[in-house]
Amino acid sequence: MTDSDHDHDHDAIEATDSSPGYYELLEISVRELLIEKQLITAAEIRRQLEVLDSRTPALGAKIVARAWVDPAFKARLLADGRKACEEFGITFYDDTQLIVLENTEAEHNLICCTLCSCYPRPVLGLPPDWYKQKPYRARAIAEPRKVLAEFGTIVPDDVAVRVGDSTAMMRFMVLPLRPKGTEAFSEQELAALVTRDTMIGVVHPSLEARNPQ
Amino acid sequence: MSDTRRLIERLPNDIGGVPAPEIDRAEHELQIWEKRCHALADVLDFHKLINTEEKRCGVEALGSDVIGKLSYYERWIVAFANILLRKEVLTPTELALKLQEVQARWQMPKAGGTP
Repeated sequence: MTDSDHDHDHDAIEATDSSPGYYELLEISVRELLIEKQLITAAEIRRQLEVLDSRTPALGAKIVARAWVDPAFKARLLADGRKACEEFGITFYDDTQLIVLENTEAEHNLICCTLCSCYPRPVLGLPPDWYKQKPYRARAIAEPRKVLAEFGTIVPDDVAVRVGDSTAMMRFMVLPLRPKGTEAFSEQELAALVTRDTMIGVVHPSLEARNPQ
Repeated sequence: MSDTRRLIERLPNDIGGVPAPEIDRAEHELQIWEKRCHALADVLDFHKLINTEEKRCGVEALGSDVIGKLSYYERWIVAFANILLRKEVLTPTELALKLQEVQARWQMPKAGGTP
């Protein structure tokens, strides 16, 4: 089979003058029927769209930066990821638990979901397309070092690579290693170094790749 | 023989470790309906109408041919419709009539009602 999320043509699917494509029509129909039956409300959909928009990797970056500067917070984060995030004001809108995997000098972590696309959405927002597509899902658990190398990350042989394979209820996030040379950085400056991909574990934070502040 | 054994041993979603090409790192901005589809999934989960595992199974039940040809959110919305029909939350007739009604909004001038 080919997992062709990205290699087939779509008709233009827009909620404008031109007729939506079949799948958008189906989405509208299912949603409206459920609203008419009073099983869900339009307000809930609108609210959830706002929630989805509010979740970005910047939230995870704040968590990581706090863990780097506050050992007690880090200990709580590693003990119970969800609870520590909630303490930080990040609500979990689903039933998932969060396990935070700490990168060390001896171990590098990578997260994936071989079965579908499970991802710590409350903390990182929606996953990148490649995370949901076959090549990453098929290869991350079988040949993680090769996958990492494709992202430009070479993990030395004496550093173990551990892959967290997510499930519907259990999500992972990587706590990357704090880069050297950041001893004088403020928490905010540290957060700017923490990109989405560093929390998936495919790259290391670097002083060259910063988030816009 | 070995071809069919492969189908039995691994369901369509179970692709961990199977040979696959290089990772294509291109990313696309979600279309509006795709984002609505995601919000719908979350709301369905809140109300326990379809939970995450049911959604995953619903996608898997589409079979590898459909999974391979549909995009990510196309698979989701088809899976939702199938699950809701199976649970008798919706009936096939309701859904067919609703699809006609929705489609007609774009066929009649000034029919209004973009979602």
